[in-house]
Formats: sequence, C-alpha cells, structure tokens
Amino acid sequence: MRPLGAFWLAALLALPIFALAVLPPFGQRMVTLVGIYALMGLGYQLVFGQLGALNLAQGALFGVGAYTAALAAPMLGALALPVAILAAAIPAAVVAGPILRLQSHYFALATLALASIVNLVAVHAESLTGGANGISGFVSSLPRGPVLLAMVWICLIAGVLIYAQLFRGRLGDEARLLREAPLMAATLGIDGGRWRLAGFVVGAALAGLAGAFSAAISGVVSPDVTGFSVMVLCLTSVVIGGSRHPMGAVVGALLAVCLPEMLRDFQDAWLLVYAVATLAIVRWAPGGLAEWIDRLSGARSPVPHKPVVPERLLPATGAQRLVLDNVVKRFGGVDALAGVSFAVGRGEIVGLIGPNGSGKTTLLNVIGGLDHVDGGAITLDDTHLEHLPPHVIARKGLGRTFQTLMLEGDTRSADLARAVSTGAAFLLLDEPAAGATDRERGQLTSLLRRLRDAGRGVVIVDHDIELLTRVCDRLVCLDRGKVIAIGGPAEVRADPRVRASFLGLVEAAA
Amino acid sequence: MAYALVALGFVLALNAAGAVNFAHGDLVVLGGAVAVAAGQSTGLAAPLLLPLVALTLGAAGIVAARVAILPLVARPPEATFVATIALAAIIEHGLTVGLGAAPRTAPALTGSGSFDIAGVALGRQPLAIVVVGSVLVAGVWFLLERTQTGRRMRAVSSDRHMARAVGIPVGRYIMLSLALAGALAGIAGFLLGHQFLVAPTQGAGHMLKAYIAVALGGWGSVPGALLGALGIGFFETFVSAGFGDAWASAALYVGVLVVLAFRPQGLFGEPVGRRA
Repeated sequence: MRPLGAFWLAALLALPIFALAVLPPFGQRMVTLVGIYALMGLGYQLVFGQLGALNLAQGALFGVGAYTAALAAPMLGALALPVAILAAAIPAAVVAGPILRLQSHYFALATLALASIVNLVAVHAESLTGGANGISGFVSSLPRGPVLLAMVWICLIAGVLIYAQLFRGRLGDEARLLREAPLMAATLGIDGGRWRLAGFVVGAALAGLAGAFSAAISGVVSPDVTGFSVMVLCLTSVVIGGSRHPMGAVVGALLAVCLPEMLRDFQDAWLLVYAVATLAIVRWAPGGLAEWIDRLSGARSPVPHKPVVPERLLPATGAQRLVLDNVVKRFGGVDALAGVSFAVGRGEIVGLIGPNGSGKTTLLNVIGGLDHVDGGAITLDDTHLEHLPPHVIARKGLGRTFQTLMLEGDTRSADLARAVSTGAAFLLLDEPAAGATDRERGQLTSLLRRLRDAGRGVVIVDHDIELLTRVCDRLVCLDRGKVIAIGGPAEVRADPRVRASFLGLVEAAA
Repeated sequence: MAYALVALGFVLALNAAGAVNFAHGDLVVLGGAVAVAAGQSTGLAAPLLLPLVALTLGAAGIVAARVAILPLVARPPEATFVATIALAAIIEHGLTVGLGAAPRTAPALTGSGSFDIAGVALGRQPLAIVVVGSVLVAGVWFLLERTQTGRRMRAVSSDRHMARAVGIPVGRYIMLSLALAGALAGIAGFLLGHQFLVAPTQGAGHMLKAYIAVALGGWGSVPGALLGALGIGFFETFVSAGFGDAWASAALYVGVLVVLAFRPQGLFGEPVGRRA
C-alpha cells in the first residue's frame, strides 16, 4: 500500500479546521459525526479490509461503548472515554480466542449472534440500560461543540496516520498473505492467530471509542445504537469508501452523513441509495471510492516487486539435521503415510519420488505442520515438530513451496524465492519444475546447487527424474505411504521395486 | 414449519452460490409484502395468491442471482456476503419507502375455523401451514433426489468447476436454485405474514434463524437444515412459554456461540477438503 499522499493529508486536516473556523454549530455537529463514523470504520477496516473476515459485531461494540460512556460519564467525566474503550475491547479479547479460528461463514454467524446478545441485553436489562427507552439526560463526558469536534478529529487523524504508516510496509504484505494465501503465510512464519487477535481487539477498541463519542454528542443512548442497522451502515460505508485504503473509512463516513441531508425530503430513500451504491462498488470498483479518486488524480498503484533469489546465498544458521522417524498419517481408513523414516542433513539434497498418491505432498505437509501427524516423530535437531503450528515450524528454520500457486499474479520462481529468502536452514519444495521450460529447469538446477553450497538442506518432490538424478545426493522412493527404496540416485533407479512401481510407468510413457 | 421453508430456501441458495445469501430473510419479508399488496389489489382468494407470490419471488430470486451472486462467483465469499447484505438493505428500505414501516397482515390461507380431531382442536390456519410446508418440502426432496435437474443442481453445488467440465451450464443452474429459494422464501413469508404480521425490518431476524438452523444442522445439508429449523421452532416455543421471548432468543444465541466454540465445524461437521 502506498503512503498517504499530500492530497489526502490536506483534506484530512482541512475538514475539521474549516468546520471549527467557519461552520455554524449544526455544520460542526455533522463534521463531528463524520469523525465518529470514520473512527468506527477505521477499526472495522482492520478485520474486514485487511484480514477479509466479515465481522458483524462492530455495530454492537459501538453500542457497548455508547452505553458505557452514558453510564460512566456522570461519575468519571472525560475518563469515561478510556473506560468505554476497555468495555468494548475486553469482551472482544475474551471471545476472540474461539471465534477467530472459525471459517468465514461461521465467523460471520458467531459475530452476528454476539451482536444479537448485546442488542437483547440493551432492550431487556431495564435496570441497567433503561430498556427500550434508553438513557437520556446524562452528563456528557466532554463538552459538546468545538471541544468534542477537536477531540474526535485528533483521535481520527492520529488513527489514520498510524494505519497508513503501519500498512505501507511489511505489515501490509503480511495482511495480504493472510487474506489471500493463509497456508503460505503460515509457512513463511507469520502468526495469523496473533495478528487476527490484535486486529479484532484494536478494531473493537476504536468502535468503543466511537460509541462513547456518539453518546457524548447525542446525549441519548437507546437500543438502536446496538442494532443491525448501525452495523450495516458501518459495513456499507467502509465498502463504499474503500475497505483497505487509509482514507476509505473517512470518505465512506462523509457520504453516510451528507447523503441523508441531501435527500432529506425522501426520508429513508438515502439508505436505499446507499445500499445500491454499495452493491455497485462491490461489483465494479472493489477498491472503493478512495482508491478510485487516487486513480483519477493520477496516483499509480505501486507495482509489487517480484521476489528474486539473490546470486550469493548467505550460509544458513540453525538446526543441523531433520529426522523423520516412523511417521504415520491416516486419512479416514487410508494410511497415507505408513511409517516413513529418513534423515536430511545440511548441505544435502534429497529427492522424493513415487507414483501419484504415494504420499509425497502429504509428507511435506506433515513436516511443515499443515497436517497433523498420527504417529512417529519429526525432529529438527532436538526439537520435536509434530505438534507445533506451521508458523512456529517455519520460524525454526523450515521453508516450503507449493504445487498450486496461491497468490494472484504469482509465479513459481517467486514462490521459490520467497521460501529461500526466509533464510530457512531446510527447504521443502513441491514440484518446482512442473510446467517449467528447459531454461527454467537449468536455473532451478543451478539454484539447488547454490543452496547446497550455502549449507541448506533440501527435500524436493518432482516428476522430472532426470533433474533429480542430476542434483540430488539421495533419492527416497515412496509407494502407498511406505519407503520402498533409499540411496544414491543410480542405485534407487536400478532397484527392481522402484522400476516396477514408478519408473516402469515413466519410461514406458516416455 | 414455516421456519423450515425459510431454512430450506436458505440452504439451496447457499449451496448454489457457495456463500451465505444475507438477503434471504428480506426475500421472505418481500413475499409477505407481495401477498399483502396482491391480496388488497386483486381480491383473489388466498389459495390463488400462493402461486402468484411464489412466481413473483422466484423472479426476485433470479434478479438476486444476477446482481449479487453470479457476477461475484470468482471472488472470495466475503464479496458475496457484502453484496447480499446490500441487497437486503435495498429490499428493506425499498419496502419502507414503498409501503411504509407499519406492520401489515397477510391474508389467511383458509378460514379461521378449527377442526376437531380426536378431541384436540386444531386451528385450520396452522394446519394449512403444516400441509403446504410438508408438500413443498417433499416436492423439493423429489426434485433434488429423483430428477435430472435436481442431480445437476447438486452437481453444481458440490463442485462448480467439475460440473462445468462435464457440460452443465453452471450459471443457469445457480439461477434456477436461487429462483426456487426465492419461491420458497416467498411462500414462507406469506404463511408467516398472517400469524406474525409483515414489517420491513423483520428480514434480519428470519435470516439469522435460517443461518443458525443451517449451521447447527450441518453446513450445506438439506435434511440438516430442516431438522435445525424444526429444532429452533420447538426450542423457541417451549423456552419462551416457560421463560419469555427474550430468554429464548438469548439462550439460542449463547447456544450457537458455545457450539461454535467447541465444534468449529458445526454440530455435525462438514466435509472439509484442502489441497496444499
């Protein structure tokens, strides 16, 4: 993502200053509202935009913030704001553990159920929340008018700048990987769980703060603030503005506040217009209005640089030996791996061959932690890898590439370069030569030799037996989940069982 | 029984689109609204209104597929979520603008009398709902399990690419599924509309119940969705009779969270496949 341009920065600063200097109280109130919705939207972008998870509880958390501020402000004054932040963030952190593991449709459902519970409490816990009538006439946490406007916009501007700064670099890349290729993210050592937790909790905190501000400006809190319509407004405004652009939430909030004024004579019609616009944006401009404005003003999207393997590889440090001892993996009643044992040392290239379905990719998945082992041991020096999550295994010095490309516009060489550049001591390569040209095969051969010279250990799965024979120190042949031959390339290729199960087929076809 | 129709349509749309259709609840409301409007303007008898509502909502299902689902099949499911949420908002606010926010009553399917069977008084209207519902569920089952069209619909749901590879026009079958889902939603809306009135804001509630039914019954499973819906219906009836509506709903939502916390694949799991 590009840094925030001068145009956006100017707009961000000009709006509140203009409002304070020129606008009448009514206009100031609208600008404050824009700031409040934008804060909620900014928090929402973290989970929905950056991680691509449909969180339907943001509106309810906004409501929690509003109620907390209404209840706490008479006692605490301005201190009610941090209390409201905590009131939204703490429950979010508590429920985050179980619900962040869920797949997209269950995540949406869980957050929707959570929001419905908050709404029920707001309506029915009358002694606390005032029931359907809500709470009114409470002392505001901040004086309304210019002070409130300034506070809201200071928080918003700080939030937008931090967001833009954070996501322009490594964090933005990590978020994209988690969103588009979670498996690959894990094998590159990115801890998705921690990332999602942080995004969800910070997003909730911003919703709570926005809710507290909204209680301060309106002076009334009713169950409506926890309802689904607030959620839909937040979602649609983030989509319309741009779900990842640093200014997306601000642009969306600006429209959400101004449209009803422009269409005042048509009552609910503005919501209709807003919903139609959302649909159109999803379909034709998924980047949102902010990105569209960027394009109009001639700013170009940064071209993602293709990772390239450097000419000279640094010698790897870390573990010395990867050992598989009697590894078993079952899928239902089928033994995909029925007791596989071999070892790979540093500076050694081991080729894994075998007919289709013999367990080659399963073995790589099990070593990398993408599939759980049902028996046996996998160790990296003295560390057992069997029950570690993939990102921890990756950080211990194990990189891998995939058969299927996981990122749009990605290439096989980019996938390889990414794995190599993690500096992993051991690499697992799944069919790196599939579909490659002769020239690319030549490059792959030289890369593998450089990896060996740099002291990396490599396990490579491929069907190009000639290539493997040229570069590998040893070959391991799998058949129906068992090792049927292991040794030097010539030796393994001469083995009668290997010829029968695998090479026979290849040579007959060739 | 009407819940079952809602959930059945929901799961059909879900399987066809590969993503949750958040507008399904609003299609139900739309069905109720069409029944109200058609009943007032034509004065037709209720049994004749039923096919009219079904046809109109079938068409609405096709429109939903064309604007919010088919253009987004290649994108992650979240794109469809957002598009259908927008569609739901369009229906809700369109109805508010067009008909007003006040609840209305849909025409009754039959007269209000009751039968006396073995000493138990059965209202004619609830009985009619059960009969219509059962006939429709049986019809959908027959379509899916016993006809070539149904086989193709199931093929499209289970593997869209494979279905295309064997020559099934996938887009057309997605639209067909959505039309069927819309028709079921419309009839459900009609049936519910007499008992519980029709108001534009009810959509989210209907959608949530169907969503929960499908999640509990097994994601994408048609019989599971029906069981889930009936379960929710009984649960609500009994708990709310004992403790009140609010507690019934709260218990339902907490239950969903607990189930998802301990069984992240849903109560009965779903086939999970992954290719590295």
